[in-house]
Formats: sequence, structure tokens, C-alpha cells
Amino acid sequence: MTPRYTELQLDALRELANIASGNAATSLAQMLGREVELNVPRVLALPLADAVEACGSPEDATTSVVIPLDGDVTGVVLLLIEPQGAETLCPLLGVDAWDEIGESALREIGNILGTSCLNALASMTGLHLEPRPPHLTTDMLGAIVSSLALTTTASAELVLVLDSELSVAGEPCSISFVLLPTEGGVSDLLAPLGLAEAA
Amino acid sequence: MGTVRMGEIEVSKRTGEELVARGLGSCIGLALIDHMSGVAGMAHIVLPESSGHTSTAEPGKFADTGVPALIAQMQRAGAVTRRLDAVMAGGARMFALGEMDIGARNAEAVTAGLTRAGLRVRAADTGGNRGRTMRLTVGEFEVTVKEAGGEPVTLFDAAPGPASKRLAARA
Repeated sequence: MTPRYTELQLDALRELANIASGNAATSLAQMLGREVELNVPRVLALPLADAVEACGSPEDATTSVVIPLDGDVTGVVLLLIEPQGAETLCPLLGVDAWDEIGESALREIGNILGTSCLNALASMTGLHLEPRPPHLTTDMLGAIVSSLALTTTASAELVLVLDSELSVAGEPCSISFVLLPTEGGVSDLLAPLGLAEAA
Repeated sequence: MGTVRMGEIEVSKRTGEELVARGLGSCIGLALIDHMSGVAGMAHIVLPESSGHTSTAEPGKFADTGVPALIAQMQRAGAVTRRLDAVMAGGARMFALGEMDIGARNAEAVTAGLTRAGLRVRAADTGGNRGRTMRLTVGEFEVTVKEAGGEPVTLFDAAPGPASKRLAARA
């Protein structure tokens, strides 16, 4: 069976994503000492191919920080940073983008953003959410997103993407923030809000 | 230009048309070529087995249904099964997450599907942890594979038609 979500459920997920990425934006602003802008998140429930394309052009090289989720809800938090974004972020932290130190700085940014997002989700839902150590890779966007979506939703019939865009004020830097919950994870997120049952 | 999206199958005999499977991670790009009849096809396979899944509308999504579906579509376009050259790429393990290596299982399942059809893989670039794009130009029947930030590398060249035609094409 293909899971379907009601408008009410999608609104609730959008609100969760909004608060979670707002929290992440605040952490990033503190870390960089810069203003960070946040757009209104998209909540998309799409077939895998469409979900991947919604994240961007599948062949584009993208730096990603992947934070696997453990605890009451499983899934993956994914930060997608365009190459230009990485080149902007690292100097703001005083490091070069494309060496080991740059990589570890990006991984740390991912870790802090992911953790602050999860803290917000946990305090809203009362769920226990635990981030595992982040993975960092620079590769084709489609390869990254499709492979991760397949590890979270084995059937890959409908993938839920919670996607927000963070940008550092005055700099060419945008970060996509994507939450890929497992199929059961979506209802676990919605249950504390009394919205677990699909209409 | 034909982008073969996840779960899709494309077959063409229009010379010069490109079939491209972009951003293959654990997915497999499978190219089949019959250079005699000039028919080429590509499938972008996502998962090894269709069992337990409801979407029979997308045979190209699964290795066990996608391989026969691609072969059948090529036959309808005039290809002959025993002449088919099979080339595959993808099946990477992008992240060491979860117990399942979907990429490796995909590669095995595609190979098994080809074997059932009496075909063997002529060239393959599978496994590892990098994403790939597979590209095939109908009429030239050269299959290339590119990794992120890299140059396209020839994986297979079907040496189409008589030698004179190839030389003419190069001139």
C-alpha cells in the first residue's frame, strides 16, 4: 500500500520542519557570526524519481553531510551544500574548503545543524531522537539522494522530503536541509500531535 | 535527448539520440545494444526484486521485471535477443549505512536477469562508493561512464556496422 498523507498531516510536518530548520538557522548564525536567512520549507510526498529531482539536478556535484537518526524515529537528516556554498562557508570559519580541515569543518557544521534540528523536533514531539556520527561526501546529487532514500524507505514508492533552504546573508551560500524519515517514522513524528492516523 | 529517469526504460533506433541515466548511486544503468538492427535501449533500475511491491506499472524499477521488459521492448523495435550486447554501471554503496548493500544486490539481480535471457555482461563498472552517469549514443553504440567531476570514460564500444562506416564517421 502506498502511504498517503492528508493536507493536515502535511501542514503539521511543514510546521515541524519550519521550527526545526529555524533552530538550525540560529545555530549556524551563531557559529558564523552572520545573519542566516531561512525560506518556508517545502514538504513533498513524491515518488522516488520526482523526490530526487525536487532536490536539484541529479548530475550536479554536491557536498552532503548525512546524519543518520536513531531513537524513537529513524531516518536520515541530509544537508546539501553546493560547491560554491562550501567555498563560502569554510573561509567564514577561517579554513580552506577542499582539504581535510575544510571537510572536517563542513562535517561539524552538518553536525551542529543536524543536532539543533533534532533537538527542536524532539522538544516539540517529546520523542527521543539521537543523531549518529555524520558522514560527508561530495558526489552527484541524484546518487546521494536516491541511495539514501532507498536505505530509509525500502519500497521507495513514496518518499517524504522535508526541505528548507538556508542562506548566509550577503554571501552566495545556500544549504538545503532535507529530512528523510522512514515510512514508520512519519507516523511516529505525527503521533504525538494526534495526527498519526491517515484520513 | 533521452534522460532515463529512475524506474524508466527507453528504447531508440534514431541515430544520434542520446540515452542517459544520470546520477546513478545504488541504482543500475543497463544498456542493451543490437548494432545489426541499430536498436539501443537503457533501463534505470532501482531495486533488485519486485516481490512485495505494488507498482507493476513500473517494470523498469526492479531488476527481475526490468531486464525482460527492456529486452521485450527492444524486440518490438526490431532487435534480436541473442545479438544483444549488455553493459551495466552503477550499483555503488554511497554510504556505509544499514546492513543492506542495495547496490551489490542490484548488480547481482541484473546479471541474473541477463543470464536467464541467455545474455552475459560484456562490460560493467559497478560497486565502489561513487555516483555515476551512463551515456549511450544511438548509432555510435559507445557506452561511457562519468563520475562526479570526472571525464567520461569509454566502458564499451560495440564497433557498429562495417569498418568503412566507422572510418567515415571518424573522418
